[in-house]
Amino acid sequence: MANSIFEEKLGSNDFIVTTEVGPPKSVDVSEMVHHIELLKDKVDAINITDHQSSVMRFPSIGGCLVVKELGGEPILQMTCRDRNRLALEAELLLAYSRGITNVLCLTGDSVDVGDHKEAKPVFDLDSVQLLKMIRTLESGTDMGGNELKAVPHFCIGATVHPEADFIEPQLIKFDKKVAAGAQFMQTQGIFDLASLRRFMQYASQFKIKILAGIIVLSSAGMARYMNNNVPGIIVSQAIIDELAAVEKGKGLQKGIEIAARMIKTIREENLCHGVHIMAVGNEKIVPDILEAAELVNA
Amino acid sequence: MNVANQSYPENRSENASDHSLVPPCQDACPLHMDIREYVGLVSQGRIMEALQVIRTGNPFPSICAYVCTHPCEDACRRSQVDKPIAIRSLKRFAVEFGGDRMVRAEAETKHAEKVAIVGSGPAGLACAYYLKKLGYAVTVLEAHSELGGMLRVGIPQYRLPREVLNIEVQRLIRMGVEIRTDTRVVSLDLLFELGYKAIFITIGAHQSLRMGIEGEESPGVIDGATFLREVNLGLKPSLGKRVAVVGGGNVAIDAARTATRLGIKKVSILYRRSRAEMPADPKEVEQALEEGIDIIYLVTPTIIKRENKRLNVTCVRMELGEPDESGRQRPVPIKDSVFIEKFDTLIAAIGQAPQTPSDFGVRIGRGSTIQVDPSTLTTNRVGVFAGGDAVTGPATVTEALAAGRLAALRIDDYLQHRYPLPVKETKEKLGGDLLPKTIEMIKKIERVEPPNLAFEARAKDFETVELVYGWEQAINEARRCLRCGVGVEILFQDKCATCLTCLRVCPYHVPYLDVSGTIRIPADQCQACGICVAECPAKAIVLRKPFDRRQVTDELGHTIKSAAESKNKPLIIGFCCQYGLYGTGTLARLWRGAKAGVSIVPVLCVAKVEATHLLSAFKTGAEGVFVAGCGEQCARENTTYWVKQRVAKVRKVLGSIGLEPERLQVFALSSTAEDPAEELDKFVEQIGSLRLASVIKGEVKS
Amino acid sequence: MIVAEQKPLEEIRRMIAPYQRVLILGCGTCMTVCDAGGELEVSFLHNALQLAQARSGDVAHTFYEHTLKRQCDPEFLGLLDEKTADVDVILSLGCGIGVQAVAERLPDMPVLPGVNTSFMGMTKESGVWDERCAACGDCRLEDTAGICPITRCTKGILNGPCAGPKKGKCEANKDMDCAWILIYQRLERLQQLDKMRRYYPPRNYRPIPRPRRITSKAGTMAGEGNG
Repeated sequence: MANSIFEEKLGSNDFIVTTEVGPPKSVDVSEMVHHIELLKDKVDAINITDHQSSVMRFPSIGGCLVVKELGGEPILQMTCRDRNRLALEAELLLAYSRGITNVLCLTGDSVDVGDHKEAKPVFDLDSVQLLKMIRTLESGTDMGGNELKAVPHFCIGATVHPEADFIEPQLIKFDKKVAAGAQFMQTQGIFDLASLRRFMQYASQFKIKILAGIIVLSSAGMARYMNNNVPGIIVSQAIIDELAAVEKGKGLQKGIEIAARMIKTIREENLCHGVHIMAVGNEKIVPDILEAAELVNA
Repeated sequence: MNVANQSYPENRSENASDHSLVPPCQDACPLHMDIREYVGLVSQGRIMEALQVIRTGNPFPSICAYVCTHPCEDACRRSQVDKPIAIRSLKRFAVEFGGDRMVRAEAETKHAEKVAIVGSGPAGLACAYYLKKLGYAVTVLEAHSELGGMLRVGIPQYRLPREVLNIEVQRLIRMGVEIRTDTRVVSLDLLFELGYKAIFITIGAHQSLRMGIEGEESPGVIDGATFLREVNLGLKPSLGKRVAVVGGGNVAIDAARTATRLGIKKVSILYRRSRAEMPADPKEVEQALEEGIDIIYLVTPTIIKRENKRLNVTCVRMELGEPDESGRQRPVPIKDSVFIEKFDTLIAAIGQAPQTPSDFGVRIGRGSTIQVDPSTLTTNRVGVFAGGDAVTGPATVTEALAAGRLAALRIDDYLQHRYPLPVKETKEKLGGDLLPKTIEMIKKIERVEPPNLAFEARAKDFETVELVYGWEQAINEARRCLRCGVGVEILFQDKCATCLTCLRVCPYHVPYLDVSGTIRIPADQCQACGICVAECPAKAIVLRKPFDRRQVTDELGHTIKSAAESKNKPLIIGFCCQYGLYGTGTLARLWRGAKAGVSIVPVLCVAKVEATHLLSAFKTGAEGVFVAGCGEQCARENTTYWVKQRVAKVRKVLGSIGLEPERLQVFALSSTAEDPAEELDKFVEQIGSLRLASVIKGEVKS
Repeated sequence: MIVAEQKPLEEIRRMIAPYQRVLILGCGTCMTVCDAGGELEVSFLHNALQLAQARSGDVAHTFYEHTLKRQCDPEFLGLLDEKTADVDVILSLGCGIGVQAVAERLPDMPVLPGVNTSFMGMTKESGVWDERCAACGDCRLEDTAGICPITRCTKGILNGPCAGPKKGKCEANKDMDCAWILIYQRLERLQQLDKMRRYYPPRNYRPIPRPRRITSKAGTMAGEGNG
C-alpha cells in the first residue's frame, strides 16, 4: 500500500509534475499560502524548500503543514546542514504524525553560500545516510538502535545532477542513493536535454522515477548570476544566448517559453518520468508554464 | 704588528665571530690579498676604502696593478658563470682613482738590529718595506745604478711606467730605508762585519739560459734578459731590420714587443710548441699579435751562421709528442723539415737562472737557485735568508713580493729570538665548483674590459697599453663579483625549526635537506643575497661576516642617533642600496642636494632590509620611509620582490595604527619606470602634504 | 603541524591595554614554521607595538621578548621562571595549547593569546598553508585514497560529492578543490573505485568527547588510565 498519494502516482505510468514553493523570511505566510493554493491542484506534489541556498527562512516542515491544511500533497525537503541525527529523526516523527510522508533527502548547501555564514555547519549525516536512516526508522528502530513504539512510513527521494561537469562521482553517488532506498529523483536544473538523455540512458537500469528539474530563468543576467553563485547550477551558453537576445522586460516571458518547450519535449519524447519545476521566487508563473507546456489538465 | 695576516681592519677585532671563508681569488693570490673586500668596496664606489684594503695586503699595489699575472682571475668562480672578474683592472682603478701616489707610509726605527738586503727587486723592496714598518734599520744594496731589479731592468716600460716604480722607491726612501746603489756585494762576511745582524739575499735570476746550439756565440745573438736590461737602462741596441725572438714566455713576448717599439718592422717569435702551451700571459700574446708581431709556432733554431753581417738561422719544424714531466706535450723534430731563415738579430729568451757568487757561501740547488727552508727562508748560513727569483727561479712579481714579506717576518722572528711558527690561516677555504642549478640562476653580466691604447699608437713608443677604467665601468665590473664565502650560515642550529623557508625563498636553489633531514646551506653555493636571513622565522640564519650581519641595524642606528642629536626629527628615512651606480650615482647626486629632513640609511642591497628595520625607521618619528634598490639592475635575483613583500607587511601595521600606507614606498630601477629622482621628489612632496594634513587635523582636534 | 595566524594588531593592543610590562613569548616549533609566532614575528610584533605606542601616545608599555623552543611542554616553560619575575602579562604567540600550558605553569600570571590557532595543515608554498587533518580520531584515509573528506570537504560528508562542485572546485570556496573529485580521481588511478561505491554509515563521534587524552605508556590498559 502506498504511503502517500504521491507515491501512488509514482507507481503509475503517468507523467509526473512537481514544483516547489520557497517559504518566506517572515512570520507572514500569506504569499506562500497563495502560491500553494494556486498550485496544489495543478501539480502532483509541492516541495517546500529547506532554507534554500542556506538562507534562513520559515521551515520546510511548516510549509508542508500548510500544504497539508490546504489539501495539497507536500514533499518535505530535508537537508543535513542544520540538524544532527537526533533533530532529523525527531522532525521525521513530527512529519509522519501530521501526514507528511514524502521526503526529499538532501545533503544541503554549504553555509558559506547563505546569509548565516558564521553558523556551525552540522552535516552529521549526508544524503545517503539520511535515506538509510529513514529506512531504519521504518524498520522500527532509531539510529541509536532503540525501538520505536509506533513506526512511520515514508516515500523518499533524493537529487541527482545530470549536468555536473564531472559526472562520474555523481553517478556513483546516484547508485548509492538508489541502493539506500530512494524511490524518486528530482534532478538539479536541466538546461541541455542532451545531458538528460545521456543520464537517462544510464539511470533507466534502475527501478526509480526521475523527474527532470526545470529552472525558470528571467534574464541572461540571472542565468550568469546563478552560474557564479548557486551551487550545482550550470546554465548552458545556448540558453543564456537565447535569453540575451530578447528585448528588455521580455526575459521572463522567454524563460517561461524555454521552460515550457523543454517540458513539452521531455514529455513528448518520453525522456524521463516527469518534471520538477523550480520557479525560484516566481511561483505564480508556474501555471503559465504548465499551460504553455500543455500540462494544465494535471 | 701581524703584517702577513693583515686584512680589512674591521674583521681583525672580530675574528671570533667572523665565519667568512677564504675565497678562491684570495687563496690564489701569493700575497693573500682581500680581493673580495676591495672589489666589493669598488662596487659601492668607496674607492678610498678599497685602496686602503689593497694597501693593507700589498706593499706596492700600483706596481701589481700593472704587472700582476692575476692568478686570482684564473681562480675566480665567476668564470663558471660567464667570465672572471677583471680584478687587476679594478685594482688599477682603485690605485689611480684612490690616489695611491699620495699615500705616505711612515715608520719608526724601534730596534737596534740592522738588516741588509742584497738586491732591490720586488722581493727586496717588499722585505725592506715590511722590515722598516716593523721598526728595523734597513739597507738595500743594489748592483745597478737604480733600484727595482727586474721591475727596472726586465719589465718593459709600456707594461710598467717607470714613474710608478719611482714613486714606490721614493716612498721607501721617505720611510727611512737606506739605499746603496752601484754596490755589488761580493761577501756576506763583510756585511756581518759592518754590523748587520741579518741578511736577505734577493738577487733575482738574471742569467739567461743558453740554447746550446751551434753559433750561439755569434755577434747578433743576444739573450733576452740582457736585451731588455739594455733597453730599460736607456741604451738603444742596434738590431738591424729583421729580429727573431726564441721562446714562448713573458720575457720572449716582452723582448719582441720592445723590439717593435725600437722601430723594428719585422719581429718574429719562434716557439717550439703551439699557442696553447705558451707560458706567456694570453693577453700579452694577444697584444703582441695586434702589434704586428709574427709568432711562428712549432719551430726551433738548430744552427746559427753569421754571413755578411746577417744571421742564417737553420730551423726545424716540431710536432707535439708524449707529455713531459711538466704535463705539456714534448716537442719532437719532424724529419726533413729543416729550413733556413735570415735575421739581423736573434734574441734568445728561453729562460733565466740566478747567478749567486760562490763567496756568499750559501748552498746552491737545482737550477742554480739558493736552497732555503721554504717556511722560514733561512739558508744554510745563520742569519742569512734568501727569497725571490734567486730561490724559485723566474717567477712573478707578486710571488716575489710575498717572499719579501715572508722574509721580513722571518727575519723579525730570528732577531727577536722567536720560534718561527708558520702563519696559520684561521679561516676555512671556500672550494668546489658552483652547481649547474646555481649557475643557471645567476644573472649573466658581461665582463667590462678596460680600454687599450689603440695599437697604431703603441708601437711608436713605450706608453702604457692598458688604460684605466672609467668610474661607471669599474663599478659595473665590480658588481659582478659573486662574493664567494661571505654568504649565510645557519648559526643557530638549535633555533632552526627546519621550516624550509630558506629552501623555498632562495633564488639560487642553494639550501637543501640532507639525508638525515637537516637543512644545509652550502657555503660554496650561497650567493650572499641575504633574502633567507630576513625571511627566516626563527632568526637562525646569519651572514657570515659580523659587519654584514649588523650593517643595516648599525647604519639605521647612526641615522637615528644623529637625528636625535640635531633635534631635528627626520622627515623621511630612505634605505638606499649602495651597490652599483644607483647607490653611488643617481641617489647620491639627488640627496647631496641636501633635501631637508631626508636621512639616508646606506644598505648593501635592499634584500637585507628587514620588516623590523622599516618599523624602526617609523619609530624614530619619520613621516615617510622608502626603500630604493637597483631593481632590474640588481646583480642578484628577486631582491625587489622580497622587499615588496616586507613593505606590504609593514604597510598593514601602518594601516592598523592609523598611518597612511603610502608613507612607505619602494623605488626600484627599471627600464620602464620614471626617473628615480623624479619619483623620489614626488614622494617627498607627498609626505610633506601628509604631515601638513595631520598638523591641521591636530589643530582642529585641540 | 599546527597552523595559526597572528591576531590583528588592534586586537592585541586592546588586550594588553591594562598591563604595563608585557612579555611577548614566541614558540620555536609550529608557530615558527607557520610564520605566526617565531622569533622573527616576536621581534616584528614588538616593533609594531612600540611604533603604535609611539604614534598614539597611549599607555607606555614596556615590552620584553623571548622565544621558547616549545611552549607546550612544562619543562621548557621552566626556563621562563626568571623572565617572568618582572612582567605583568605574557602575550603568548604559541598556539592555543601553548597559551594554556603557560597559564597552567604560571597560576598568578595573566596570559593572552597573540595568535588565532587555525588548523593542522601543511605548507603549500612559502607563506601558504592548507588544512589537512581535523583530528577526528577515526581516520578513514584508507578508504579515501589518502585524501581526507572530513577536513577537505566543506561538509565533511562520507559518501561522495554533493551536487555543488563546479570545474572541480568547492561550492563554498572557488579556490579550493572538491575533495571528493580528488578522491575519485585518485581512487580511479589506484583502481580502487570500489571503495567509493561502498556505503559509509554515519560517523561515530564517540572517539571525540572533549577533551581527549592519549597515553602511550606501556602497561596502561583501557580503563586503567589516570583520567
